[in-house]
Amino acid sequence: MSGYRLLAHTADMGIEATGASPQEVFVAAARGLQAMMFSRAPIAAVREVPVTVHGTDQAELLVAWLGEILYLFEVQQLAPSDYIIDDIRHDTLNGRVMGEAFDPDRHPIEREVKAITYHQVRVWKEKSGWRARVYVDL
Amino acid sequence: MTVKIQQIDAYRWRIPREGDMRTEGLIFADGKMIAALQKEQALEQVRNVATLPGIVGPSMAMPDIHWGYGFPIGGVAAFDAEAGIVSPGGVGYDINCGVRLLRSALVAAEIRPFMAQLADTLFRNIPSGVGSERRDLKLSLREERKVLEQGAAWAVAQGFGEKEDLHHIEAGGTLPEADPELISDRALERGRAQLGTLGSGNHFLEVQEVEEIFDADTAETLGLFAGQLTLSIHTGSRGLGYQVCDDYLKRMLQASRKYGIQLPDRQLCCAPLTSPEGRQYLAAMAGAANYAFANRQIINAWIRETFQQVLGLGPGDLRLAVIYDVCHNIAKLETHLVAGRQRRLCVHRKGATRAFPPGHPETPERYRSVGQPVLIPGDMGRYSYVLVGTQGAMTETFGSCCHGAGRVLSRHAAKKVARGHNIEAELAARGILIRAAGRATVAEEISAAYKDVADVVEVVERSGIGRIVARLRPLVVIKG
Repeated sequence: MSGYRLLAHTADMGIEATGASPQEVFVAAARGLQAMMFSRAPIAAVREVPVTVHGTDQAELLVAWLGEILYLFEVQQLAPSDYIIDDIRHDTLNGRVMGEAFDPDRHPIEREVKAITYHQVRVWKEKSGWRARVYVDL
Repeated sequence: MTVKIQQIDAYRWRIPREGDMRTEGLIFADGKMIAALQKEQALEQVRNVATLPGIVGPSMAMPDIHWGYGFPIGGVAAFDAEAGIVSPGGVGYDINCGVRLLRSALVAAEIRPFMAQLADTLFRNIPSGVGSERRDLKLSLREERKVLEQGAAWAVAQGFGEKEDLHHIEAGGTLPEADPELISDRALERGRAQLGTLGSGNHFLEVQEVEEIFDADTAETLGLFAGQLTLSIHTGSRGLGYQVCDDYLKRMLQASRKYGIQLPDRQLCCAPLTSPEGRQYLAAMAGAANYAFANRQIINAWIRETFQQVLGLGPGDLRLAVIYDVCHNIAKLETHLVAGRQRRLCVHRKGATRAFPPGHPETPERYRSVGQPVLIPGDMGRYSYVLVGTQGAMTETFGSCCHGAGRVLSRHAAKKVARGHNIEAELAARGILIRAAGRATVAEEISAAYKDVADVVEVVERSGIGRIVARLRPLVVIKG
């Protein structure tokens, strides 16, 4: 089962994501980030942006992947709706972020996410599948 | 994991040195605060910081300590300039997040009929929340680089405020070691449209009233009087700072491996102060800090314009002057007396304020007899405090003090408490008008989410690392 839950933190917030594969976990984490930023506002997938990020392990790749989604929103005004991970090799992730041009009236902001942190970041395999945990700075 | 903690006196607690710790931990708090802290991970974070190379004195936390990422919020740690490290996680994403306090010649009670109009106009004139900006401030890349080099002085040269303002800003509003060449295109891109914006979360702009004066002579030196209208700005370096931190965390992860530094948490990644990575981070950080000084300076100028517009008064009648502007997320090279010897140290203050004593050469001349003003915002429903720095802080905390109330409730928990309440109406009934851009902001920022800042400053004063001068109560709160 792939999914996410938002974790309580005194000042900030975390995301715990699960999935059958690292790909599913990375997509679930991105959905968690989207929920934190936009709650349940409907966003259409009318644009697709390819994303390539690097890191020395899956935990660093997760921080970089989510960081890229924040960047696309802030600089390219891409409100994100859907995510595809094409492949994760040991130090590179290739994926795509879909979405539409940010419109504050249709996509009310729930809260601003400043950054994705490395604090206690972890991606790991369990008996039932994969799991990841990451905290963001609000 | 539980952290061993020993009580030293009513307001000081020690985490004894053990395991990989290179020094002990020292926390300023009362018994109630310590009990609450043991339920989260902040004490563990104080201990983690104590493992970093070249730390001088204890790994410290101010009474507004709470769980951060990497360093605790409220953390102060000094590292030897030769043998120590610098850590972007010890400064945080919002580089030079800080507070500016303005005084006025106005009596708050006399302005009450205009308060709603002031609230609406400030909310309109000062961009707050995600994605909002003023269309009349467009930066070219060349100008943005000048902002990074010159800080608040750039803003003043563009007509945002007066030269006199610069005398009452930490470091004069410019860190000269800034090097824009060390700031990535991505950071410049994120920063270009965000200069002169408040942001969101705990950032705010408040119109306040001086509710109580505790030290009349010092208040007079600071230009404060009971019933006076004051304003506070709390914001930082926006997306530019977040990106600088992010860029250098990536480099520092590599640098930590290169220099063989063991990390209990990746967010503590760092490099020796003498290494190229360490020096480059400090120069990039200084650029982001200058952006934040310019940001607060520009917002300051728009506040002056708004007051003139709404009240129809000129600058001479308003006399909106800067009392002080402090950084509370920064790393600075400073000289401190340690065990009888002057030492050059890199002092990291993450959610902590510099609090230099009377007579210190970096304390502005106007305040040299009383100490550097220390501005401590509380929460939007209660009050904020003005303090001054002390010799006690210089001796014990490398001239540092708390920075705010400190959160006690997570955002989830705060929203639960807020459920069923109309926070705006409840605040309005108490004479506090709030205007907020983000949907979740008001619920997540309720008073109950924070410690009572009165308890925090009491610990500061009683432990001798700051002196309380005045209490301010909010009348208008602008949130992102």
